[in-house]
Amino acid sequence: MKLPLWRRRQDDELTEELRSHLAMATQDRIDRGEPPDQAAAAALREFGNPLLVRETVRDTWGWISIAQWGSDLAYAVRGLRRSPGFVVAAVLTLALGIGANTAMFSIVRAVVLRPLPFADADRLVALNELDLRASGDRRGTLSWPNFLDWQQRSRTLASMAAYHSANFTVAAGGSAAHVPGVVASTTLFSTLGVTAATGRTFAPDDESAEANVAVVSDEFRLTHLGGDAAPIGRAITVNGRPFTIIGVLPSGVVFPIESPAPQLWVTAAEDARVEDAGDTPMTEQRGAHFLQAVARLRHDVSLAGTRAELDAIAAAIATQHPDDNAHRGAAATPLLEALVGDVQRPLWLLMTAVACVLLIACANVANLLTARGLARQAELALRVALGASRDRVVRLLVAEAVVLAVAGAACGVGVAVWSIRALVPLAPGDVRGLDAVTLDGLVLLFTALLAGGCALIVGVIPAVRVTRGDPSRNLTSSRGPGGQPSQWRWLNGLVVAETALGVMLLAAAALTLDGLDRLSGRDPGFDVSGVLTMSVSLPDSRYPFARQVAFYDQVVPALSAIPGVEASALVGPLPLGGSRFRISLELPGDSGDATARRQSPGFAFVSPDYFRTMRIPLRQGRDFTVADRQNSPRVAIVNESFARRYFAGVDPIGQRIRPGLSIDEPAAPWREVVGVVGDTKQVTLLDEPAPAFFVPHSQGMITTPHLVIRSTQGADAVPAAVRRIVAAADPELALYDVRSLQERLGASMASERFATLLFTAFAVLALLLSAVGLHGVLAYSVSQRAHEFGVRVALGAEARDVARVVLAGAIGLVGAGLLIGVAAAVVAGRLMAASLSFVQAPGVTTYAIVTAVFLTIAVVCGVVPARRAARTDPLRVLRAN
Amino acid sequence: MPIRRANSIDLLQGTLDMLVLEQLRWAPSHGYGIAQAIRTQSGDILRVDAGSLYPALHRLERQQLVRAQWTVSDRKQRTRVYRLTPLGRRRLAGERSRWEQLSLAIGAILDRGGVKA
Repeated sequence: MKLPLWRRRQDDELTEELRSHLAMATQDRIDRGEPPDQAAAAALREFGNPLLVRETVRDTWGWISIAQWGSDLAYAVRGLRRSPGFVVAAVLTLALGIGANTAMFSIVRAVVLRPLPFADADRLVALNELDLRASGDRRGTLSWPNFLDWQQRSRTLASMAAYHSANFTVAAGGSAAHVPGVVASTTLFSTLGVTAATGRTFAPDDESAEANVAVVSDEFRLTHLGGDAAPIGRAITVNGRPFTIIGVLPSGVVFPIESPAPQLWVTAAEDARVEDAGDTPMTEQRGAHFLQAVARLRHDVSLAGTRAELDAIAAAIATQHPDDNAHRGAAATPLLEALVGDVQRPLWLLMTAVACVLLIACANVANLLTARGLARQAELALRVALGASRDRVVRLLVAEAVVLAVAGAACGVGVAVWSIRALVPLAPGDVRGLDAVTLDGLVLLFTALLAGGCALIVGVIPAVRVTRGDPSRNLTSSRGPGGQPSQWRWLNGLVVAETALGVMLLAAAALTLDGLDRLSGRDPGFDVSGVLTMSVSLPDSRYPFARQVAFYDQVVPALSAIPGVEASALVGPLPLGGSRFRISLELPGDSGDATARRQSPGFAFVSPDYFRTMRIPLRQGRDFTVADRQNSPRVAIVNESFARRYFAGVDPIGQRIRPGLSIDEPAAPWREVVGVVGDTKQVTLLDEPAPAFFVPHSQGMITTPHLVIRSTQGADAVPAAVRRIVAAADPELALYDVRSLQERLGASMASERFATLLFTAFAVLALLLSAVGLHGVLAYSVSQRAHEFGVRVALGAEARDVARVVLAGAIGLVGAGLLIGVAAAVVAGRLMAASLSFVQAPGVTTYAIVTAVFLTIAVVCGVVPARRAARTDPLRVLRAN
Repeated sequence: MPIRRANSIDLLQGTLDMLVLEQLRWAPSHGYGIAQAIRTQSGDILRVDAGSLYPALHRLERQQLVRAQWTVSDRKQRTRVYRLTPLGRRRLAGERSRWEQLSLAIGAILDRGGVKA
């Protein structure tokens, strides 16, 4: 054995010590009168085998096991090199399993496990108002007055900040560009613990009316300020007003964490502006809920403590302002959970699924190693007979597993890199961290642990099994190796287990495929094909409400003149655009209390022709026309759910409703229902039909609208034409968010599609691996049972009978796996349906498909071995023994 | 083929350690000397083979119960001599009292059984 250098001296000393022992013993015997040669022989006899003694002593040194491991590993590599086919199969199997797990874990790591880039991020919470009337997720946005009340009254929150996303038209010297940004209270960055890379973040004074200061992201500095290293004090135009840059955030730090990432931050002064002196600013409208909020818990306060305090504060505000707040509560959620809470459970489900794939891979390799070990039992028995301990033999077998696992992990990292590169472009864009999936230290540590686990599973168990039993029997058995029933039970058990896992994964994939299919099959209520959508950023400094309406009234009809354009219109918020507006509703005969208790219906403002452009069917009454203007009678169109809910049994046309919506009226006006249209989906295809109403844009444009353009033209020609028309109206305007409705529909299902893709990929992997495993065991069993088959054939069995035995064996194994797997899939399916909103609990069809697939696999995998068994030549086999 | 391996040591380990420490209580000695002493003192009943003795000595050395040193014997033989460390001395005292308790206890059981039978 080769020893490490630093141990050689110790070893030499041991040799000398033993030699001196022998010398003294010999000398004693000579002193007692024995002849020298006899004395030496007798002393040696008494001493025993010096080599063995030396080895035993070395064992007590402890470090020796490392050296032995080295030699075991070297020996394993030599042994494996002799069977390249086996090595390729085993390493490839492990690489697929480990690689898939590494890739999946790196996704989980990036999304869930990577802490937010803020100091003490675990003390940060997201704040929401609760709509106590709603069922399901009741979390909603805040209004400025409510936020300010919370801020003033809370003692458990060290600091809190409100913010909302906003679209800015920014000019920094050059032409105007659309920039996604944020309006926030001045406390935003101090709450997050973010300091500027250059300059400063907001101070309380910055909120004063004419401060007009902005903080920008590092990305903004690079793209819009020409990489200016010190842009502090630079003047830019934001929405047509002069602003001064006071700070640049560190690279990679933005908040809120969303897509597209915000690049420019201004203070709440932006919301305090009014068009006319008499108007109420947004910062004073208690009923205008559009704010997100983030807060930092005091270090001595628990989340539960804050929640209790917020409940009390919300209750107090509800008593003070019953009109707006009677049905409103307050909620605090850890910020990370608020960001990734929805995706967390699907991700862990996927992680479980991919772990099952690895278990199958391990079962396969364990199979291969067991079969290999059984085939080598005679050799191993010989080793034991020659003085190797069982430990040593086990260690030898485990060393092979370790070599395979390490090679598998190394290749697995390659598989992971490749699959991450392939997967990330397909991932939904709006999930935090999915754009930054990398193999960092933690992921690699995970991979190393996986490799260790694999080596343990695929090495130790087979090694213990192989070396079990009486070695001498293995050595002398005339029937050759591999005959012990317990070892067959073990191989078969592995096949049954991996079939069960495969069944579960296939059922999971079938569920997601079915769910995705059902989801895509849902009718959004409008025709998405051929519709292009986009926004124009109108700086509100130059475009007060009336001019905005005038602008669109000029541009939208002009769009219809573009060649190939069938119809064009205006809508806000855009369906499938990500947002949903709800506005409270009063009906004739309501007391104020009834309005407060009623859940607010959905809302959108649209221009005439919107329903025709979207091909939303007009069921009753009329569409809006150009005659429905800012100063004409207030009108509304409702959807079918609205009509059913509020006008059951009466003609909705001509009914009056009073949504809490006003543009320039002192109080929200009553509106006459002039039409009924079909229901449409607003945010995703999963939306259930719900009441909604529409008003003309001239009577309710309260957010930046989208243009919707139906054309027979390609998607490229239209935006260019639109850009020309918009530029003709005002050259400083930028067009942004140009996407087809089809694209938006796709994006609205991106998470579902991604989950389905992964589940399906895992199931395919699992199927392949189980098939390979089954085939391997069958082929091995046929080769081991050649003797038995020979005897059967010799006794008159038909080839068909022999083949049937093999096939029946295959079906029996798979059948057992199916039974277990389906039982497990029932539970797993429920779990999935609970975590993935688009998945429904499995039905009989799912199980039928899964069963059919696996029985087919059993037959396909059984055919070749069965044929080989059928062709057994009895003479040759029997003569061989 | 007879194989002397860990099994035979395991049975004796605790006792062997105590016997070795006991030998070193009076004077430092080398492995051969210890083996011979145990053999003669036990009236030729206990024969400690090298395959047990040297692992035991090296184990005790690693536990710092004994310390080893190369010296030259009076017969000009270079030998490795072991001596008891203070820690080894304490351990021996502990082992010794435990052994005495154990043999008393076993003795008591055997005596009682003897009376009954």
